[in-house]
Amino acid sequence: MKLKSLLLGTAIAAIGTASLAEEYVIGVMSAQSGYLAPYDGPAYAGFKFCMDEKMANGGLNGTTPVKLIVKDTRSDIAFGVQVVQEMLDQGAQFIVSSADADPTIAAAQITAADMVPTMTFAGTAPVLTQVGSHVFGSYPGDNQQGAVLAAYAKDQGFEKAWLLTSPDSAYTLGGPRYFGEVFESLGGAVVGESTFNLNQPDFSAIVTNIQNAETAPDVIVTWAWEPDFPAFIRALRGAGVDTQVMGGDVLDTPTVRGLGDVVDGVVHTSGGYPEDGSKYADFIARFEAATGTTPDNNYYVNGCDIADMIEQAVAAAGTTDPAAVSAAMAEIENGEGTMSNFTFKGTDRMPLRDVVVARITADGGKEFVLRQMADPETLPKP
Amino acid sequence: MDQLLQQLINALSLGGIYAMLALGLAIVFSIIGLINFAHGDIMTFGGYGIFLSMVFGFPPVAALCIGLGAAVVMALAMERTAFRVMRGADVISLLITSFAVSEILKVFFQNGISARPVPISFPAAWSGSYQIGGMTIGVAPTASILVTIISLGCLTFVLRHLAIGMAMRAAAEDFDMLRMLGVRANRVVAAAFAISGLLAGIAAVIWTAQRGSVDPMMGFFPVLKAFIATVLGGLGSLGGAVLGGFVVGTLEVLTQAFLPDALAPYRDAIVLSAVIAVLLVRPDGLLPARTSARS
Repeated sequence: MKLKSLLLGTAIAAIGTASLAEEYVIGVMSAQSGYLAPYDGPAYAGFKFCMDEKMANGGLNGTTPVKLIVKDTRSDIAFGVQVVQEMLDQGAQFIVSSADADPTIAAAQITAADMVPTMTFAGTAPVLTQVGSHVFGSYPGDNQQGAVLAAYAKDQGFEKAWLLTSPDSAYTLGGPRYFGEVFESLGGAVVGESTFNLNQPDFSAIVTNIQNAETAPDVIVTWAWEPDFPAFIRALRGAGVDTQVMGGDVLDTPTVRGLGDVVDGVVHTSGGYPEDGSKYADFIARFEAATGTTPDNNYYVNGCDIADMIEQAVAAAGTTDPAAVSAAMAEIENGEGTMSNFTFKGTDRMPLRDVVVARITADGGKEFVLRQMADPETLPKP
Repeated sequence: MDQLLQQLINALSLGGIYAMLALGLAIVFSIIGLINFAHGDIMTFGGYGIFLSMVFGFPPVAALCIGLGAAVVMALAMERTAFRVMRGADVISLLITSFAVSEILKVFFQNGISARPVPISFPAAWSGSYQIGGMTIGVAPTASILVTIISLGCLTFVLRHLAIGMAMRAAAEDFDMLRMLGVRANRVVAAAFAISGLLAGIAAVIWTAQRGSVDPMMGFFPVLKAFIATVLGGLGSLGGAVLGGFVVGTLEVLTQAFLPDALAPYRDAIVLSAVIAVLLVRPDGLLPARTSARS
């Protein structure tokens, strides 16, 4: 009888301990409206899906349950800062920030005091991790994408590039500039540059300038996103200019592919490509089965990879202490991801990952061109 | 020289869109004193009308007509549900109401349709170009200029020769007197909103044909420019709104085309400084209304 009581007591204690295991609190900035909503929305959906899968298996590494605090930032940086402070006050030990450099940098100012690791959903400007050793990227940086795209362009025989940049964001300014830097180092020439403002009403003046340039470019490179890129490409093709256009990962969207003939042949970088039989393809199938939604861009899978990055950092740290998790994250080498593997060790916390180059086809699809990791030795510095 | 001519065509194309939007703002303002910042959302609604029509398989020309109709319906609905009850309120109350309507519609677009831009794929020929001398001119800008000229011509005819147009002009002069003379105020105001919606719809058609996508913020930025144009032209002045639209469009295109690289980031600041300089000299605008409202 005593033995039975002892066993019963031990079992109850064990169950109690498990159910009372300390929760790891993750704060998530997710814009439900405004310019970041199209990126934060899918990234959060993918993140939550994979986090739910982990929770069903006992939490991170099967042992650490997770509590998510999700707050809408309305794509407003000032409001986002307030949101981060609220999440820290509620005990957040990790912050997943919006999918752009500027809100991430703003959030990182608040999380710096306690070294709470702060990782952007999909911001790719390498400058964002310069704020502090607790700030992390998750997607291949613009300099990696620019380097791989420049090498591809040179391989295809392009010699004269025209850059279309916008100083309004680190992304739209940095991506083409990184491309240009590597392109010139490989023997190509940047023959001109035009600037635009985000949400610029009209691109015809820029197109006319390109048409009348002293040296005609054979490739135009831009990191412009929607709705600027659709406006630009329609103005360009509408003016009869059929010069090859290349761009950043932000062109990897159904909206851009849905533009019809004007985007046929446009080449862009991307974080991944769901080849048959790949982990990425499996993720799409699982997500589709569970939610009824087909992930049609990489933000979904990258959100899932962020869940993996957090899990691996917590495992490596052996604790959920924020500073220890930050330090462990920075040392991850060839971590296992779904979109691609990731390495933080030896980088400035913008993970080194495969970059995919893809081409948009006339039927509104895309085709795989190549997958390559940028050489860290020759990467342009932020 | 060819480049300058090409840029002037670009300027006319963009200025025409601003002119139509500015005219839509000015027509409503001249009658009920409302600066309707939800005007951009009427344009956006027209754009979504085109998008949804094409999704449901309508041919492009029919989709454009549906987009126009959608914009008119939205303008009339806005007048009936939000602004009629506020008629006679002060300018600030009307302004805040228009901001509220605008925000509600944006949230509706974001959550009801999509937060991200949706593509509109028009036939390839609509993105074509043709040669005149050494110049390559796009079909879309040409169509934009022609549509603008025809629209403004038709509107002039309506305002000058049709009874409802004359009633609207009279309302702009003295709305209370018009009512005392037995003209139905609701009819005049609704007609003003319908014309304003039609102009926003035409702008939406040209805009989507040139840009290829619709997003919840599509109308916001051009209407901001159109508002600047109405102030520049003279608040409440219909001719001034058109002139202001073309001036703002021309300034934008020419600064984009010819400003040195080092000054490029200051493009908007330079355009707005030019507008302020004009208003310092002519505070009632370039073509002030007879009962002018200072900016």
